[in-house]
Amino acid sequence: MNAHSAPNPPVILRALLLAFSGDAHCELVAGDLHEEFLCLCEQRGQGVGKRWYASQVMRSLPDLVRLRIRSGELTRSLAVLTCIAASLLLLDRLWCFVYSHVPWKDGLDRAAGFLAVNLAVLCIASAISGALARSARAAALLSLACAAGAMAGICASLSAAPAWYIGAALLAATASSLAGYTNTKWRSQ
Amino acid sequence: MKWVKRIVMVVAALLILPVLTLLLLGLRSGAGHVRSSVDVQASPGQLWTWIDDGEYVKRWVSWTVEMKPWNPSAGVGATRSAVMRDENNGGAQMVIDGTCTEYTPPKMLAVKLSVPNVFDGLQTYHLTDLGNGRTRLVIEMSYHFDSALARLMEPLITPSARKKMDGDLARLKSLVEGRAELH
Repeated sequence: MNAHSAPNPPVILRALLLAFSGDAHCELVAGDLHEEFLCLCEQRGQGVGKRWYASQVMRSLPDLVRLRIRSGELTRSLAVLTCIAASLLLLDRLWCFVYSHVPWKDGLDRAAGFLAVNLAVLCIASAISGALARSARAAALLSLACAAGAMAGICASLSAAPAWYIGAALLAATASSLAGYTNTKWRSQ
Repeated sequence: MKWVKRIVMVVAALLILPVLTLLLLGLRSGAGHVRSSVDVQASPGQLWTWIDDGEYVKRWVSWTVEMKPWNPSAGVGATRSAVMRDENNGGAQMVIDGTCTEYTPPKMLAVKLSVPNVFDGLQTYHLTDLGNGRTRLVIEMSYHFDSALARLMEPLITPSARKKMDGDLARLKSLVEGRAELH
């Protein structure tokens, strides 16, 4: 099998595996699984290989997450996720308070200015989170946590979230977190 | 330790700067005052019904669940209350008590509004005959909040109230010009 025709495992599953397999075992776990995946693809076809890869990753994830929590590697990501979600929820409650005081009451649609404040706070919080990362893998995991926190915060909010706002929030959380990490790394060099 | 200090400074700035900005904005001349107007293709008499009759009011003021009729009858000193649905408070219903302070059909209506422990204010409706069957309706509202936090947030509440009022007036124009009737 040459390099051009070599099958690749699904990108999202590989990213999940790399994100949750930990600094110490990242290459080892991903490498072993990749080798077996290639063998299986050669012997039984790409479809079977990809299904096997997906099932292996999904079955491994709970244990990997448990290991990362136990080793403390995921604690920071979970804390970041919680902080980001909590800050968006707090802002949502504040905007509910504001709208609740409109003398003739108003609905759950938010003015663009309020959503912009949400995005600004999200960017700052994500950038601070990213700056805490010590390796590129940790930065990627933290940016994932920021995006997950943003999504959790938006889903738990009472107010209506337009599609552009959800997209911008996910992008802002990820980009700001990575920017925070890049800035810290650049300063330390 | 350096990072902890930086984070604390950023969080403090995030709290202090907006509070200071809100305090300064709260000192502006139009604080707690909303004014909105609309020109409608209808006579003042026709438009008057839409601000005087509770059943009509309910149709153009969004989130109104119930608008009780004037008690005892329309005129200075009469009272009426509006029940609003507050989506931002878990759909709770809020009663706004109104007392008529000026009643000059079809030119002017002034109502003193009050929700205990939330706000009190004065809302006036001015109707001006523009000729050719057109009328200008100007609604002005001044309010004062009871809680300190709501007073602090006034610079955000007032633009939201204005936006809501503009939306309601656009609905009123559409209903009146569409010659909507109560069924």
